[in-house]
Amino acid sequence: MKNVIAFIEHKNGRPRRVSLEAAGAARTVADQLGGTAHAVVVGGDAAAIAGELKAYPLDTIHVLADAAADGLIDPAVDALTTVALALGPSLVLVGNTMIGRDVGSRFAARVDAGLNADAVAIDVRDGRVSCVSPKLGGLVITTCVFRSEYGVAAIRPNVFAATPGSGSAQIVAIEPAGRAYAVTLEEDVEVAAPELGVEEASVVVSGGRGLGGPQPFTTLLKDLADAFGGAVGASRAAVDAGWISYGHQIGQTGKTVSPALYIAVGISGAIQHKVGMRTAATIVAINKDPDAPIGAFADLLVVGDAFAIVPELVSAVRDARAVHV
Amino acid sequence: MVIPEDRQLNIVVAVKLVPDTNADKRIDPQTRRLVRSAAETVLNPFDEYAIEAGLQLKEQLADGSSVTIVTMAPESGKEVVRKALAMGADRAVMLSDPAFAGSDVWATAYVLAAGIRRIGFDLVLTGTQSTDAITGELPGALAEYLGVPGLTYAREIHVAAGRVRVKRETDTGYQTLSAPLPALASITKSAAEPRFASLKGIMAAKKKEIAVLRLADLEIAQAVGGDGAKLEVTELTASPARAAGKTVTAADGNAGARTIVAFLKERNLL
Ligand SMILES: Cc1cc2nc3c(=O)[nH]c(=O)nc-3n(C[C@H](O)[C@H](O)[C@H](O)COP(=O)(O)OP(=O)(O)OC[C@H]3O[C@@H](n4cnc5c(N)ncnc54)[C@H](O)[C@@H]3O)c2cc1C
Repeated sequence: MKNVIAFIEHKNGRPRRVSLEAAGAARTVADQLGGTAHAVVVGGDAAAIAGELKAYPLDTIHVLADAAADGLIDPAVDALTTVALALGPSLVLVGNTMIGRDVGSRFAARVDAGLNADAVAIDVRDGRVSCVSPKLGGLVITTCVFRSEYGVAAIRPNVFAATPGSGSAQIVAIEPAGRAYAVTLEEDVEVAAPELGVEEASVVVSGGRGLGGPQPFTTLLKDLADAFGGAVGASRAAVDAGWISYGHQIGQTGKTVSPALYIAVGISGAIQHKVGMRTAATIVAINKDPDAPIGAFADLLVVGDAFAIVPELVSAVRDARAVHV
Repeated sequence: MVIPEDRQLNIVVAVKLVPDTNADKRIDPQTRRLVRSAAETVLNPFDEYAIEAGLQLKEQLADGSSVTIVTMAPESGKEVVRKALAMGADRAVMLSDPAFAGSDVWATAYVLAAGIRRIGFDLVLTGTQSTDAITGELPGALAEYLGVPGLTYAREIHVAAGRVRVKRETDTGYQTLSAPLPALASITKSAAEPRFASLKGIMAAKKKEIAVLRLADLEIAQAVGGDGAKLEVTELTASPARAAGKTVTAADGNAGARTIVAFLKERNLL
């Protein structure tokens, strides 16, 4: 492996943050390998996205500007394969997101590449690339070295730095694969306003059964998350009750997050919830039960009524942040 | 390939056997292995959604379509596989061979694809991820090795006129996608609440076939298992257990908020 390719996800004309982080990581790893750093952008907005990417320290931005590719996985895999095969043995970085995992895994199978999920660090030793990732819900940390010529690492959002750089990247067009795709996109429906996903947010404010209904998720918790510039998460109990959609669920059967700060409100801290958030840097819990299991692994458990504490906390956080900004 | 309307559907559900997470797993710092007593093997909970979706499709089609469970696992997992049969699947195939031990995602997808091709399929269903490895990368790789369209994160799935149509979850909503069979779909929790096995189902499962296929039964060109893995685990460390922090009882909402703000400032989070 010599070169590094960041696959760029985008939405509404903007690159996703994790993709900018992939671009940043591509530069760092490529320098360690003595190779070059690339980005691949596919879709109707690809040219505009490439313009924005020029602010990042890449050598080449490969663009397939084709609106017919929007919302589909296969054209992106084809484009990535074309670029990767032309470059020779390389490491592909995708975000550890729904789209990133799909594109990365199909590409990997196509070129028999090793696949490293959920990378939180990438290192080069003796010319070999290794990835560090938490496994078993953060219970163990593994370091894996690629044995294959090509490799794919799905990077955990919020871990790698997206530092703008030189801005001298060359933009080149990708030769279209020129084939018909079996998958038809019939509709693409946005239900919620595009917001920061729990996996990407550096602060996650989660609510559980203790909140008693759907309303606090769009008021109390949303206000607190907004005050931090973060995202709202939930326990399975809250999701199963229909108070908030599944995409917000944290835990064994939901998403795994590792934000700088996780605030659990009215969540008891069951093991299946814990495995989805135990790698958060700091955990704060608000619970009226002093013996709630979450107290055994939270950095701070404040015993009290969420409905009394959270509104006060919202204004205190707003004040504190207003002073800083 | 066009499948006529009256053709019976051969549904194959790929499942994984994983350590039970109901128990708080521990790693023995000496051996760096899972402490066994706390880690019994269960069906990956995510895969139960795929099994349920497969059974519902079969019931809707009501034409003699079948649901086959496939897993790559040691034969010792047979009784766990039987649980899927008790839910109502027709038969199961285990891909069991010492040569498969130590497989990474790549090798797992590669071997499963060989097994599924051998079984024959119109529609392959999987969960969206496993609770132990949590890579979420198997469905895509498996679809690619099978050479079929992959419709992932389906929260609804329908089959009609030789096409599979899904509602795929996205971060902000959903997509409706369709593709001709044969195809693969990964199923999310919102698609189907898994049924409990009935007593009748449990009894019936005792008589159902669990076939075993070995390496030699499959068309496998590349090295698999630990030898073929494209990733080599060079280090494995137990992450430090989270210690309990402090517990503070708040006199009222304001006091609670102040406690939190002071704590966050201490940690430079505010
Ligand atoms: C196979 C499997 C997979 C699972 N996957 C997941 C998963 O992915 N994610 C997940 O979260 N769970 C999962 N679970 C469920 C998990 O076991 C728990 O049931 C769930 O996490 C409990 O949610 P909770 O903490 O919101 O509710 P509860 O356990 O009911 O806790 C509610 C808490 O709120 C507190 N409370 C009540 N009122 C107030 C108030 N006014 N102010 C402050 N605190 C208050 C209570 O003291 C209590 O601690 C899974 C379970 C299984 C079996």
